[in-house]
Amino acid sequence: MDDQACPRCKTTKYRNPSLKLMVNVCGHALCESCVDLLFLKGSGSCPECNVPLRRSNFRVQLFEDSMVEKEIDIRKRVLKDFNKKEEDFATLREYNDYLEEIETIIYNLVNNIDVVGTNKRIEQYKKDNKEIIMKNKAKIGREELELEEILEVEKQMEELRRAEMVKIEEEAKKKKIREKEALIDELMFADGDAKDILNTFAQTVANKQEEVVPIVPKVTQFSTGVKFTRGSGQQQMPLVEEGPLYRYEPPVIPDRVGPDPPSVQEIVNNGYLRHVRAETETEKAGGYSSTLPCLRALQDALSGLYHAS
Amino acid sequence: MEESTLRYEKIDFLGEGQFATVYKARDVKTDKIVAVKKIKIGSRLEAQDGINRTALREIKLLQELQHINLIGLLDVFGQKSNVSLVFDFMDTDLEIIIKDNNIVLTPANVKAYMIMTLKGLEYLHQNWILHRDLKPNNLLINREGILKIGDFGLAKAFGSPTRINTHQVVTRWYRSPELLFGARQYGTGVDMWAIGCILAELLLRVPFLPGESDLDQLSRIFQVFGTPTEETWPGMKSLTDYVQYKQFPAQQLRHIFSAASDDLLQLMESLLALYPPRRCDCTQALQMPYFSNKPAPSVGSKLPMPSNITKIETEKPSLKRKLLDNIDGGLLAKKLQF
Repeated sequence: MDDQACPRCKTTKYRNPSLKLMVNVCGHALCESCVDLLFLKGSGSCPECNVPLRRSNFRVQLFEDSMVEKEIDIRKRVLKDFNKKEEDFATLREYNDYLEEIETIIYNLVNNIDVVGTNKRIEQYKKDNKEIIMKNKAKIGREELELEEILEVEKQMEELRRAEMVKIEEEAKKKKIREKEALIDELMFADGDAKDILNTFAQTVANKQEEVVPIVPKVTQFSTGVKFTRGSGQQQMPLVEEGPLYRYEPPVIPDRVGPDPPSVQEIVNNGYLRHVRAETETEKAGGYSSTLPCLRALQDALSGLYHAS
Repeated sequence: MEESTLRYEKIDFLGEGQFATVYKARDVKTDKIVAVKKIKIGSRLEAQDGINRTALREIKLLQELQHINLIGLLDVFGQKSNVSLVFDFMDTDLEIIIKDNNIVLTPANVKAYMIMTLKGLEYLHQNWILHRDLKPNNLLINREGILKIGDFGLAKAFGSPTRINTHQVVTRWYRSPELLFGARQYGTGVDMWAIGCILAELLLRVPFLPGESDLDQLSRIFQVFGTPTEETWPGMKSLTDYVQYKQFPAQQLRHIFSAASDDLLQLMESLLALYPPRRCDCTQALQMPYFSNKPAPSVGSKLPMPSNITKIETEKPSLKRKLLDNIDGGLLAKKLQF
């Protein structure tokens, strides 16, 4: 029987041509209506293996062999974290060992060999390589983005070309109409033989067409696709913006309506600190200094001194 | 009263915190977009004490502060038993930008963010106020690329010789070692340390010192900067919550931030000095060579924005922008990865 069937409701493709089999991470298939029925709440367990599943993780089965589907799922999940690249390893040997390890993990998970231990191994790896994983994830994101960008550019160019073609066609049509009108006018008002006039017109039209033909659609650099390399650099990093360099300017102090308070330097040198309780060792260790209240008190005292109501 | 409630037309719900709900609204009078923060009144028991303390701090301090790099408090109004604060509307914050993997932060961008933050903080410190809760989440950015320091719920005046402060301030990852050791008298150093952590996060794109507990936080700090001794940090042992730590050797910042320039590392070392009096203040920081050296800081309009926020249309939307918008729509090809 090469017909697909839902293991739960036993509906076959023959009986219901619109049957769509869905698979989840465990690799057991269910038809769409069973998924709707069982996962009404958004989550539930697989009727075959009782593994808890989420409805959102169901997707249409692409391969007949559900084991393949299961492996795809697992591979995706594992590769999300095992995303080291060849550059991350010193020798090719190490890199190959790493790839081997990934395959072992995936094989184990697909074939239910020591699942608990393998999952532990993944967790351990995740913990050990948190930073590298994050870094590589960001990198991958960027690469994809660039690819998208190239696609977008190509699409735009394609549209431009199409618009141009349409324009040319329209113009040709208009020209034809104009020529026809000219011919009719000529026939109506000219005195010559109608046959002669027709002939001369046909001649000119033929000549013109020959002239038009050489216009070939322009070849753009995008059609090759090869010229776009990732190493162009310019796309990756925005150009260095040449703005004005920064120069420090002290913030504007609102008019104090009073004399300028002494600076920190003056406070220390001119003995103001004798009138303030000195900071203890603990306070100093916490970043407090007796110059602070001294300066603040002086500022407070001097501001508004000249104020006249 | 009635007039005020009518003046602001609610547009959108923005978020909810412990003490307040924030809405996006339009000021009918000026036709400006603003953020309205409605303080939750809480249970009757809390209401007995009057208006929430963090809200009171924000109102009290922000009313007198005017700076381009500090969030502006535009209005305060009451309605029944509620109090609402009206702020400048900000499109995003630094945390969102740091976490957005689609954004590339150039050295010029980092410099621009640092300058704006330090300028705002310099003004704040000059007016004898500590922010005490600096973190990327509280550095708000609008679509013109202007950064403003927000959330003054923990801000407090400093420089009093007698007043005792609490050391339970600042989100842990950005908390300075003296606070973690329980210092009750401190200065601008607590804010400067947070700035250093934010600078490191701008480079790493992940939190620099994500401690899981207060003790873990200190050990993470010492693992990077080395455990301080009585020589490098006099008086350390007299701090309230001092605990002896294992001796860790100091690491080279150069190895952690391999892509950072020398002048930047100099700034970072100065911001993240363990001994508080050795930490630089805002003015000293802004005068360091890092800021005056090349590359020049990005101008506001050149700063990156998350994809879901369209910049002011100064030019035709670039291809990249369009692209980023599309990604959310799921237009990415579903390719099989093998």
